[in-house]
Order: sequence, then C-alpha cells, then structure tokens
Amino acid sequence: MFPLPAKRFCILAAMMVFGFAASLTSASLAQDLLVADLNEKEVAITTDFNGADLLLFGTIDHELNDDVVIIVEGPPKNIAIRQKSRVSGIWINTESATLDMVPSFYQISSTRPLNVITSSKTLKELGLGLKNIPFDLIDGSSISGDNPEVWKSALIRNMENEGLWNENSDIKVRKKILFRSNIHLPANILPGEYHVRILHFRSGELFNETYSLINVQKKGLSAQIFQFAHNYPPAYGIFAIIFAVFMGWGAARVFRR
Amino acid sequence: MYIYLPIAEISINIFLILGLGGMVGLLSGIFGVGGGFLMTPLLIFLGVPAPVAVGTEANQIVASSVSGVLAHWRRGNVDIKMGSILLAGGLVGSTIGVYIFALLREIGQIDLAIKLSFIVFLGIIGSLMLVESTRAILRSRRPGGKRRKLHQHNWLHGLPFKMRFRKSKLYISALLPFGVGLLVGILSAIMGVGGGFIMVPAMIYVLGMPTSVVVGTSLFQIIFVTANVTFLQSVQTQTVDVVLAGLLLIGGVIGAQFGTRIGALLRGEQLRGLLALIVLSVCLKLVWDVVITPEDLFSLELLR
Repeated sequence: MFPLPAKRFCILAAMMVFGFAASLTSASLAQDLLVADLNEKEVAITTDFNGADLLLFGTIDHELNDDVVIIVEGPPKNIAIRQKSRVSGIWINTESATLDMVPSFYQISSTRPLNVITSSKTLKELGLGLKNIPFDLIDGSSISGDNPEVWKSALIRNMENEGLWNENSDIKVRKKILFRSNIHLPANILPGEYHVRILHFRSGELFNETYSLINVQKKGLSAQIFQFAHNYPPAYGIFAIIFAVFMGWGAARVFRR
Repeated sequence: MYIYLPIAEISINIFLILGLGGMVGLLSGIFGVGGGFLMTPLLIFLGVPAPVAVGTEANQIVASSVSGVLAHWRRGNVDIKMGSILLAGGLVGSTIGVYIFALLREIGQIDLAIKLSFIVFLGIIGSLMLVESTRAILRSRRPGGKRRKLHQHNWLHGLPFKMRFRKSKLYISALLPFGVGLLVGILSAIMGVGGGFIMVPAMIYVLGMPTSVVVGTSLFQIIFVTANVTFLQSVQTQTVDVVLAGLLLIGGVIGAQFGTRIGALLRGEQLRGLLALIVLSVCLKLVWDVVITPEDLFSLELLR
C-alpha cells in the first residue's frame, strides 16, 4: 500500500525513536544508579577515641567492565620530611624538606587494582593512587641529592606505616549492583573535613562520580583541654601548675600515716 | 581501655600509663629519687612525642615534689635560704632551657638533643653511683676505715659574695648555689626532669651540704623550677598534657607508697647499686637507639 521509500522511512523513524529512547533510559538509569551513602558522617574524637570504622555502601549498574574507586582524603597539612645520616657514629637529621598541603589522610579503595582498572595516564590525571597524590615542595630540595622519587617514596612509606595512607582493592560488589567498602580512620587522625569521592569506571573510562563528606571533630573534655591549651596558653600553664600542686597536696594527705 | 590524650594527640592504653606511673613511683619510693629521669625516656619509648613527654613530666614533677616536700618541711629539713639561691639560678636556667628547647624543636633536632642529654647524664650518674656503691659494699665487708672530713676546701670557696647558710652549716659564695641551680635549671627544661639526680650529688659534693637537708631543699626548689618550666612550655610549645600528667601521678603516688616500704627493708649501698644498674640500662637503650641504623632514614612531622 505504501510506496517503498515511504515504508522504508517509517521503519527508519521507528527504529530511531526506539533506539534513542532505549539509549536514554539506559543512560539515565546508570546515572541514577550510582548512589552511595555512609553509615556515619560525624566522627567525634572523644576521650575514649581509638580510631573509627565507617561503612560506605552504594549501588551501581554493574556490567562486565565496571569498577568502583573510593577516595577518602583528610585535611591537607604541611609536612616536614627529614633524612638522617651518620655523623661520628650517631644518626642525626641532616637534610629536610617541607611539603605543601599533603593530605593528612588518604585511603583509596577499588574493586580491582588501580592499574588493572585504567591506564596510568588516567590515574595520574585524576590524582588516583598513593603515587599520584599531588603536592608541592616548598623548600630544602637538597634532600637525597635532588631526587624527588627518593623522598616521595619515603613519604608514602612513612604515611603507610602510620596507618594514614592506604591503597587497597577491597571493595566488594554483591549481585552486580551493591558495593560496600570499609573506611578505617586510625586513632592518630587529625580533625577536619574528610572528602569522599566515589568514582564509577566503565571500560577504563571515568563514567560517573559522586561525593560525600565526613566531619571529624574533637568533642568533649579532650577537645576542651586542647582548645584551652592552644587558645589561652598562659592561663593553661597556670591551670596546669595549680592542678599539679593540688594533686600533690592531695596525694600527701591521702597517704599521710 | 584506651584514652585519647588531648595534647599528645595519641590514643594509649590507660592501664599502661597507670602501670608506668606505678612502676616509676615504686622505684622512686624505694630509692628516694624523683623518677623524672626514668619517666621521660620511658614515655618516649611508649611513643609519646618527645616534646610532650618533656613538657608533661615537668608538670607531673610539680605534683610529686609538692607531696614529697611536705614531709621534709614538717621535719625542718628544708634550708630555705639555700633553696632560694638555688631557685634564683634555677629560674634563670630553666627559662634559658625552654628557649633552647623551642629553638632545637624548630630546627628538627629536639628528639636527638633530649636523647643525647639523657645518655650523657644517665651515663655519668649511673657509672659514678655504681662505682661508689660497689666500693661501699666492699668497704662494709672490711672492718675499720677512715672517717672523711665534712667537706674539702678548694678554689670554689674563694669566690666572692660569701653568705652564711645556717641550716646547712656553710659559709660559701652565693655564686656556687646560683650556678648549680642555673645548670640544673637548663637541663630540667630540656630533659623534663626535676634534676634531683644531678642536684643532690652537686649539693653534697660541690656545695658540701649535710645530707639531712639535701633532699628537702632540692625538692623545695624543684617545685618552683618545674612550675616555671610547665608555664613556659605551655606558652611556647603547648606540650603540657594535664591528662597524661594526672594519670602518671595517680600511678606514681600509689607506687611510691609500696616503694618506701620496700626501700626500708634494703640497705643503702645495695639500693644505690641497684638504682645505678637501672639508670645504666635505660642509658644503654638510648645509646642503642641513636647508634644502630634506623629502619627508615626518613621521618615525617606534621606541621601546624
């Protein structure tokens, strides 16, 4: 009934509309599906604080080549890195360098090792992995004969030993949709805002991302003592002396025979 | 059970701290010493940052010296005139010491400076005590033996500004106790010790004071010198942790009660020999720390 070209056009149009709709749904579905949350967003450093474990969980539309990378970054600080050398039999700090704005905490977790997920070029561009954490050297470049690799690896090694930096591929994906990751904040973390980035990689490309925030605060008595000591040093010093005199006098009274 | 120390900013087992306080308190009770010279290195071994160990120990020694001096005060064993001159030197010395401390901290050498000071002084005092007590033990086995003079006269007694110290039965230059106080004050600030382990021998052998008033007078001036260090460290470096000091003191007071009872059962020269061995072993551990090749040649410090 229809002339051939018209019939062909109809089919083409239908295919286009259908195809477009199909790709739209799959895209929006995937966008919607990267959802993540933390079981806790506030961490209080109180008198009995001994580290905290948080659980990050979420969903992705998991296909064959999908990966999740989670980065938790603590407040940046300047760090002095010192190198010892032997001076007449004794090990002395002889060289030092100051690094500007180094994350005081950095945990990167992924579903598979980072170098399997994507190229080293992409990792570098996105600043992913302990080796790719960006920071600047302020002064003292004499350390280890100007070879940045030596003190960079020393920085990574020391931060790892302190438990402050960590790279792992421990993210578990269940039923191709639900992922979960453990965030361990050790006892020596600094208070401040901890930025959480959740990246979704598909076939080695960054496909989608979302953010979250953990707020670490000193609370209670220990926070008050710290603030007292740092905001009113002379008053704190006098308080410490009075406290000691009182304690010493009390001890002598209690045990006086 | 863990406790987060607000100034040290580390989390530590509360029983470890109480136990450490108790152990050092026990030793100070047995031997009649302050214990700061053992406590500070032990805190550093436990992982307390060296500057915090020093600042906090000064604070704790204020407390332990207050409780110690009261008994001596009641028995009239405090030479206040001598103590005041020592104290004048001590205040000047400790102020200089805190300044040196802040300077060393800035250039990243404070940990080493603290350790080296301990090595030098623990080494000297430990060896001297060991030699002296060994001789005393040997001498006590042989009957007889000459009595020493009260004190020898030497060039030190020719110095100007002579003063009479009635309680100590001395007529010496005021520069002497002032100098001793100054020197011990500097060490007190850098090492976080009361300095009794240097002050007491110096009072006996350099100033020639009678032993009966030495301990009381030394404690009397230590209170003020360590109070000065506590104040200045609080202002300059914010390294005084009152929570840590309080816990150490609780452990220390209890330990000292048992210590004094055990001490009464042992003989003087044996006690000094034993203390000498403890002092020397802490010294050796510190020597070991600075001499062996560190696991990592690099170290980090978070700057505020």
